Amino acid sequence: MKSIRALVPIAILLAAWEAAARSGLWSRIVFPSLEAIGREFIGFFARADAWEQIWTSLYRAFGGFTLAAVVGVLLGMIMGRSKLVADLLDPLFSGTYAVPKLALFPIFIFVFGIGSLSKVALIFLECLYPIVIMTYHGAKSVNRVWLWSAQNMGASRWQILRRVVIPSTTPYIFAGFRVAVPVAMIVVVITEMISSADGLGYLVIYSLSSLRTDRMLAVVVIIALIGYLLDKGLVLARNRLIYWEKLDTYYV
Amino acid sequence: MIRTVLALLAGVLVSSAFAQQIPTIRLGRGFAAEEQVWLMSVRRDLTPNQGKKYELKQILFQANPERFQAFLAGELDAGTAPGLAVIFARAQGMDMKLVASVCLEAHGKDYFTTTYMVKDDGPIKSAKDLKGGTIGVVGIKTATDLWARAGLINAGLVPDKDTKVVPMAFPAIGEAVRSGKVSAGTFVEPFYSSEIAKGGLRKLFTAVDAVGYDHELLDLFFGEKFLKAHPDAVRAFLADYVAITKWYLANKEQGKRDLAKAGFVRTPVEIYVKNADWKRTPDARLDVGSLKKLSTFMHEKLQWLEKPVNVDEMVDQSFLPK
Repeated sequence: MKSIRALVPIAILLAAWEAAARSGLWSRIVFPSLEAIGREFIGFFARADAWEQIWTSLYRAFGGFTLAAVVGVLLGMIMGRSKLVADLLDPLFSGTYAVPKLALFPIFIFVFGIGSLSKVALIFLECLYPIVIMTYHGAKSVNRVWLWSAQNMGASRWQILRRVVIPSTTPYIFAGFRVAVPVAMIVVVITEMISSADGLGYLVIYSLSSLRTDRMLAVVVIIALIGYLLDKGLVLARNRLIYWEKLDTYYV
Repeated sequence: MIRTVLALLAGVLVSSAFAQQIPTIRLGRGFAAEEQVWLMSVRRDLTPNQGKKYELKQILFQANPERFQAFLAGELDAGTAPGLAVIFARAQGMDMKLVASVCLEAHGKDYFTTTYMVKDDGPIKSAKDLKGGTIGVVGIKTATDLWARAGLINAGLVPDKDTKVVPMAFPAIGEAVRSGKVSAGTFVEPFYSSEIAKGGLRKLFTAVDAVGYDHELLDLFFGEKFLKAHPDAVRAFLADYVAITKWYLANKEQGKRDLAKAGFVRTPVEIYVKNADWKRTPDARLDVGSLKKLSTFMHEKLQWLEKPVNVDEMVDQSFLPK
């Protein structure tokens, strides 16, 4: 029942799109029919390089995200448990969070080249912020009673970190990951649209340059599906790791 | 008193009705190589029909897809666009026609032609040496992309497979070539002159070398609906356009200074007036043969078109002055 309910808004959106496409009010170049998009979607997987293009974007997104996850969790944990480090780094992260890092992409190209490295570096930077900030707040807000209890029971610093701080912070870490994953997908597509000879973003701009909106939207659907599957995978991993605090319980 | 008021009212009504009869041409323009089009707004004194038979509203666009989207949305009646972009548009069934030429890529010491350059002291001596390298163009499926691919094909290379073609902004290309981030790059004015002055770069081939013939670069298009609805306004517009093209060809420096003063060009004026210009034909007639060749190349060699485009059907020069 729940899964059917979730499909209702998507069905309404698709119906509205098809109605706009069939209305004749707009050119089919602007509003291609669902059938045309579907045809291009199937056609995409008939391409010899379809999986190669998907993989190109995925490894760039994963590369940047993984680096950000490792560095971000580490930094966030240290900031959350050390006032000195937090005082040093918090103003930097809070102050530059809103800076559109994408504007730095031309500089990244000069430093890291036109290939994958500049894209991975920008994805790393964009993903780092939500991960650091969420982890920092998670590590900072560990229940003091738990910490005192652990100390009273003679737990060492390492034991407190492993048994109290990390489990308590993990939901925050995953919240940061869930924000960062779509960011990684968006940034990889945009950077490939700006300067690339491969990847899904390149295919978007390639289709748009030929005024093939149907083909472009088929690629957009593929990007959306990848993003959806990645998020689902992340939620699955989160629920397995943090079995005591499943996301669904929020709605009970 | 009442008579005076009535007369004034009648005058206002008549003049407003007359004003309504003058169609406004909403023209999407770009940011390079369209001097005579821009001058139509800057030097209205050289366009006698403007304000009488048509009004002109120019709207700036950074790229062709956005310009065409605005056209499809009914926000534009006309525009400037590279011939190959209009070939793409016609392939998708867009109802537009090329009515006049703006400029061409042409051989000759008097004209500028888009140039592909490499590092002067680098290992690339000919296009063949681009194998395994990267060539910077300004956008995918733009004219700069077509010339780059043509140059590679001429050298026996397979674009994308042997040499990557990547888009990047014009201002960044010079430094990208010098720093080795790309093996070769596309240079148009004013970046070409500025980079030549800095030194360290060498010409590899030009747009004309790449395709092998002079060809249309930028053209004027109109929507077919507008052409049918306001043929006299289009004729009047094109009469002014041809007149101002002739004036510009005879008074380039003055024209460029007027444009710089009006803010149409950001390049320092003393550099801008000295830059070589693209070829412009005084009668604004299109080189239809070159468009046909480009269309065939796009279809057969680059596989950019799924089927051939009938170039004769996409050109209508009957609105130009005889």
